[in-house]
Amino acid sequence: MTASHEIENRLRATAEKLLREKKVDLFLGYEKASLPFRTTPLLLTAAEEAGRLVWNSFCTVNLAVYLPRLFKAPADAREAKSATPPPKVGIVLKGCDARSVVALIQERQVPRENLVLVGIGCPGVVDAQKAEKTLGEHEALGAGEDAQGSIRAVVEDGTEITLYRQEVLADACLECRSPMPAICDLVLGGPVEAKETDAARRRAAEFESKPPDARWARFQEMISKCIRCNACRQACPMCYCKECLLDQTRPRLIGAGTDISDVTIYHLVRALHTAGRCTECGACVRACPMGIDTRLLTRKLSLEAEDLYGYRAGQSADAIPLLSAFAMDDPQDFLTEPSHLPAASSSAQEAEQARRAK
Amino acid sequence: MTEKRISHTDLPRLLARLRERGAVHAPLEDETGDAVLTELSSDDLISLRYRNFRLSPKSFLLPQNQVLFRFQDGKEEEPALPDREMVVFGVRPCDAKAMQALDKVFLDGDQNDPYYARAREKTVVIALACTRPLSSCFCTSVGGGPGDGAGADVLALELDADLLLRALTPGGERLLSSVRDLLCDAAPSAVKEAEDRVRAAEEQIAPVKVDGSAQRLSNAYDSPLWASVSQKCLGCGTCSFLCPTCHCFDITDEVRGGTGRRVRTWDCCAYPLFTLHGSGHNPRPTPKERWRQRIMHKFRYAIENFGRPFCVGCGRCIRSCPVGMDIRTVLKEIGV
Repeated sequence: MTASHEIENRLRATAEKLLREKKVDLFLGYEKASLPFRTTPLLLTAAEEAGRLVWNSFCTVNLAVYLPRLFKAPADAREAKSATPPPKVGIVLKGCDARSVVALIQERQVPRENLVLVGIGCPGVVDAQKAEKTLGEHEALGAGEDAQGSIRAVVEDGTEITLYRQEVLADACLECRSPMPAICDLVLGGPVEAKETDAARRRAAEFESKPPDARWARFQEMISKCIRCNACRQACPMCYCKECLLDQTRPRLIGAGTDISDVTIYHLVRALHTAGRCTECGACVRACPMGIDTRLLTRKLSLEAEDLYGYRAGQSADAIPLLSAFAMDDPQDFLTEPSHLPAASSSAQEAEQARRAK
Repeated sequence: MTEKRISHTDLPRLLARLRERGAVHAPLEDETGDAVLTELSSDDLISLRYRNFRLSPKSFLLPQNQVLFRFQDGKEEEPALPDREMVVFGVRPCDAKAMQALDKVFLDGDQNDPYYARAREKTVVIALACTRPLSSCFCTSVGGGPGDGAGADVLALELDADLLLRALTPGGERLLSSVRDLLCDAAPSAVKEAEDRVRAAEEQIAPVKVDGSAQRLSNAYDSPLWASVSQKCLGCGTCSFLCPTCHCFDITDEVRGGTGRRVRTWDCCAYPLFTLHGSGHNPRPTPKERWRQRIMHKFRYAIENFGRPFCVGCGRCIRSCPVGMDIRTVLKEIGV
């Protein structure tokens, strides 16, 4: 693993060169944020400002989220007339961000030829909320990482506290199997080895082992914290719909408030619309101001896509997106023969019988 | 009125007494260790270790969803005004200050909002002075301070073994006199110690330049900088929904057959739907116009209309922004 400050230096030089030689109009990277454990996206257009770019374990935002809006097709003829040609964009990509870019290319949302993809093997990023929680009553005033990758925080009284990396890495990073960008034009730093982890599978299995009513209760309890701020949707590179179903007002399909039925539909719709498309970057989880594990359902759906169809989203730009592909031997017994599903628990069955009797 | 004093060990007794008259909301730790303002039941142990709550307490006065009235077959039923007496204990001074700001919108202007007015009338707010501000706090730059109780009925100041209680409104006086048998007079030395702590907290808070923002923003409407300061905004509503002063709302009728209800729901100026016209035209089509509105509303229009910025420096929007945007940086970049 190459030290992050070395990668940072190369990144600055790369961005500077790309902008100076006009290979790109815009370079998407990260710069220092005002609070520790965070960075903030930098949309760079001036080569001489490349020194603002940083690379460290706090580069959490999936920058691919900005791509669809940069290449948005004109809405109508009038907009088309005044439209500027699509920009050339350079972008820093971790393994997961690269998967999002692949999926966006597959879905024809961004033109590959307009992108310069700068990949970095990713040793995982810090979840700021986790790090802050780990510090307990202390507040970090500054944070960095040492050569071993441990996170060091300086708290209000000046003491330095070392945080064990595994404790503060984002959940998605602990489950990550592909830390190297699957697609890129150049790579900065050395390779980061893929882990053979089944963390996602274990987490899904743990939830799955509960009876249906317990699962439902857990899901409802979790989303009852939701304030409908849309941060999970807005942070998701795959949520690029011009008009989201959940925003439609003619007719209004679901209420905008926090009525549990509306919140339920919100989260179910989002999970289903990212099925087979979610690249498991965890941006939604880190964006949530309420600490909801928004990947509870999408994690399972990704595993379903993998187990049933051998498909992992964002692996190859040439692959046909899962939901656009069809093969005669596709498994379909989960539709036609749902009997292999675990039996509903007795109380759920009783509730169902009672409902029918009514 | 002189300061009253109660020991931390007697605080549960005081809260239990208040519960006899109505609901008491106080900080309880949830399963993740976060303090949340929760309605107390008999044996809950409150926690005073928090710096502030994740969510602002504005929802006690302006719930995220509120049924204004129901209707059936063209006939309107009586509006459902909140009628429970409530004590909210442990609100931080910035959030109390925000309630005072909301009063200006919902009570003091030409609108008197009956729902808000009733909730405000029924709610006694006990603020808890801050001794450990966060690095994202800037209350002192927007007219507040860690020991400022404005907007609350009682201000509590924390000492090692005691809480000092200072009534700030007639409602606060009534509340304290209803439990006077549990309170002692505070010694002047204790009052001084509490004030020293507040002053120490005040000194930790870094100033932000906000003075004169209305004047400076009045020339900034057409600034090209709005596009650059807003370009990384994702357009979520986290900042607004966590903000203790943001109060914009939408009103919808939820109808099924002949019956329905009119609901008021928080809205957010970062959303595309916020200003979308029926014609399909949107006067604020991009984050540029939306951010301009956010900053103008808080730091210019509010000052012109209500005499104070609609920001209390709680820093929630800074801590929770998914892309690390900082309203202090935006103000600086735009030249406030």
